[in-house]
Amino acid sequence: MYKYVARRLAMSVPVVILSSLIVFGLMRVMPGDALTALMGESGNVSPKELEKLRRDLGLDLPYYKQYLIWAWQMLSLNPGDSIFTNEPISVALRKSIPVTVELAVLAMILGLVIAVPIGVISATRQDKASDYAGRVAAITGLSLPDFWLGTLVITFAAIWFRWIPPLGYASLWTDPWTNLQQFLLPAAVLGFRLSAATMRMTRSTLLEVLREDYVRTAWAKGLGERIIIYKHALKNALIPVITLVGGQFGTLLAGTVIVETIFALPGMGRLTVEAILFRDYPIVQTNVMLVAVTLVTLNLLVDLTYAWLDPRIRYQ
Amino acid sequence: MLTHDPRPVPSRSRATRREFLKRAGWTTAALTPLLAGSSRRRAFAQTASPYPDWMPPSPNPPKRGKLLTRASAWDPPVLDPRLTNSVGLSQFAALTSNRLVRYPYSDEAANTTDLTLKGDLAESWQGSPDFRVWTFKLRKGVKWHNVAPLNGRELVAADIKYCYEQYAKEGVQSFTFQEIEGIETPDKYTVRIHLKTPNIMFPQNLAEPVSIIFAREVLEEDGDLKKRLIGTGPYMIKENTRKVRVVLVRNPDYFDRGRPYIDEYHILSTPDAATRLAAFRSGQSDIHFVASLSDAANLKKTTPAAVIQEYKTVQTVFGLALAQDKPPFNDVRVRRAISMAIDRQRQVDTIYGGHGILGWGIPYFYFQDKMPTAAQLGPYWQYKPAEAKKLLTEAGHPNGFETTLFYYEYFPEMSSQVQVVQQDLKKNLNIEIKISKLDYTTFYGRYADGKWDGMSWGFKTGYATGLDEQTYQYMHSKSTKNYWRFADPVIDELVTKLRRTPDRAEQRALTKKVFEREHDQVTRMWMPYDSGFLVWQPFLRNTGSLALRRNDGYGASTLARLWVDK
Repeated sequence: MYKYVARRLAMSVPVVILSSLIVFGLMRVMPGDALTALMGESGNVSPKELEKLRRDLGLDLPYYKQYLIWAWQMLSLNPGDSIFTNEPISVALRKSIPVTVELAVLAMILGLVIAVPIGVISATRQDKASDYAGRVAAITGLSLPDFWLGTLVITFAAIWFRWIPPLGYASLWTDPWTNLQQFLLPAAVLGFRLSAATMRMTRSTLLEVLREDYVRTAWAKGLGERIIIYKHALKNALIPVITLVGGQFGTLLAGTVIVETIFALPGMGRLTVEAILFRDYPIVQTNVMLVAVTLVTLNLLVDLTYAWLDPRIRYQ
Repeated sequence: MLTHDPRPVPSRSRATRREFLKRAGWTTAALTPLLAGSSRRRAFAQTASPYPDWMPPSPNPPKRGKLLTRASAWDPPVLDPRLTNSVGLSQFAALTSNRLVRYPYSDEAANTTDLTLKGDLAESWQGSPDFRVWTFKLRKGVKWHNVAPLNGRELVAADIKYCYEQYAKEGVQSFTFQEIEGIETPDKYTVRIHLKTPNIMFPQNLAEPVSIIFAREVLEEDGDLKKRLIGTGPYMIKENTRKVRVVLVRNPDYFDRGRPYIDEYHILSTPDAATRLAAFRSGQSDIHFVASLSDAANLKKTTPAAVIQEYKTVQTVFGLALAQDKPPFNDVRVRRAISMAIDRQRQVDTIYGGHGILGWGIPYFYFQDKMPTAAQLGPYWQYKPAEAKKLLTEAGHPNGFETTLFYYEYFPEMSSQVQVVQQDLKKNLNIEIKISKLDYTTFYGRYADGKWDGMSWGFKTGYATGLDEQTYQYMHSKSTKNYWRFADPVIDELVTKLRRTPDRAEQRALTKKVFEREHDQVTRMWMPYDSGFLVWQPFLRNTGSLALRRNDGYGASTLARLWVDK
């Protein structure tokens, strides 16, 4: 197993390097730079002054030098400062990562809590009213985009209840009650969408497993429904579900920007999008690398989980 | 928008995707008759708004205390006023810091267009007979905020000198302050500014919301002002958490004793328009802005107690900018033809729901009392497609030509306007326009570079209030703010003369000439515009927003006089 993990980690190195080159190149290809964004509409900045500022920020160096400097900073775990705000990127990340991780974890939990039981009910009551209801809910979840659902939720909460989650951000550790109010709705919006795909996958894989010989044998042995479904069938049915959930979690970490924007949460998504708009190269590059590394790690973890779920799987 | 918007924007917020989708439906519906070739016409008139454009100050004695909150579209990019003029910073910078002089607050103004200069840090000021030397007498006993490293020390003339010299040295305000030849401080409370050329309007430039006085010690300690903004203003920054909130607390040592009235002002970073609206409806935000009459009506339905003020439209901020220093747009006949081929009234009717102006660049109250009529805009601003075609043929383009147009969508209506202009010019002049919609940084980089060809959707800075900013600084061929690429000796002469004309009536007459010349030469092809509506919780007093000074944006300083009646 250790060999397998080492090989997988070695294989991820070129992936990460390639990602870094792509994001570095793309940011440089985009017209405009951080100074242009910062100066905004004021316009009364002479080209000489702009040149000086660019020099001060190292934006006048050849691209390969800029890349090497940044790569070294990443390797030494010091990604540098934002060229827009001068704030150390590590500080910006320390503020935004907990927000996105909390949102993603909560959404994942809510999604699974909704999806797996409904998936099981749908599969075990195939073509009954509860199955149809579950499938309709799943299709609805898949069809409703996050931005629409988020906007709908916040608008109707304001009109009907004169309430929306408190704007701003309160840390889970310092003010858990406010934090819960701030995260519950956005997590539910994200979780509802996630649960749709998970529910459908749970239903279809469980249906497949329930038709396996060993399940029929279990029925024949006179085992109870609960034991057959939860102990024998569900564990095997969950393998593809875990692959899906692993991917979903990675997507969540990288793709919560819309929900973060609607619910005004200061997470990684907003940080990255703002940095892209302002051409804040170091932040964009660092965030993309972080996401790339996270996705590689998550994929590895998902693969490792297979063996725990299915002892027949061997690492080679 | 963009804006965030942590990003710098003119007087509107940058559009979000949701805003776009919401408005796209309305715009599509509005454009339907247009696309179908409707021939409905009517004379230029704005649909009357049921909301007042002037909110008189409260006659009751103000109450101290309470908290004011506002869900804001903008984040401050940095706190350094030398580096940015963005509304994200200006929405509170004029509350933490003062200027030498300022425009009236809402409880002092005679009307919404009252721009009489008032002393801020200066008690009095006087120009020399040739308007090259301006002497300002400072208030005594003004204290910097009582936080390190200033620790409440007294503000003196040397602080003003240092600050203005730094502005001149580098950054976004250098053009204004490089006009200064030298500054003397004969005593602790006197600042004497020598200008390179006469300028009767120089104090106006010092009253712009971006011309705030910052602390020398912070710049010297930090090397920049990106993280700390310490001033002498009515509020102090208690917290500035990017993308979360800015918390301002009352400055107990503020020189205007007894003010401000509100104890704390929280600006909550809320990039999504629907969330800002929901925050207002749920009472989490006390101030809101809506762009259109229909949005105001919708809000009123769900929140009947809301107080709505029409934010008076006195000028257009956006229009069609042409590369007028290059063919074919260096030919005035081409510019006039294009202007006459655009049906502006139809834009007002369909895109702005009848509530908007046809478009002019200089705020009208600088040259006349009433809003210009369509006829006053001149012959080249009337919709006359046949004459336009004739003029373009005379200019040597009987079959039209191909060109490009790039723009950034500051608000959804703008995209509709760009498309309508494209259709008008194709239909009436066979001018084929290839449109590029860009992100803010790309757009701004290309636009400010000033080397582009074809067309762009140009803008004026959102903070501009004074006449000098509106004329000389934008229109003189040598100004670094000459985005529209003016190269008109007549305009140069007029705007220079304006700087040397102290008589108010003469100033108005000269400004009128600038207005007329601009419209005759079609140097900036202004497009219809609507400034929108400000919405307030009913318990707020002294809320009135003044023309060119929206108090949730560049006119924030007036919030120092706002109070809560509950």
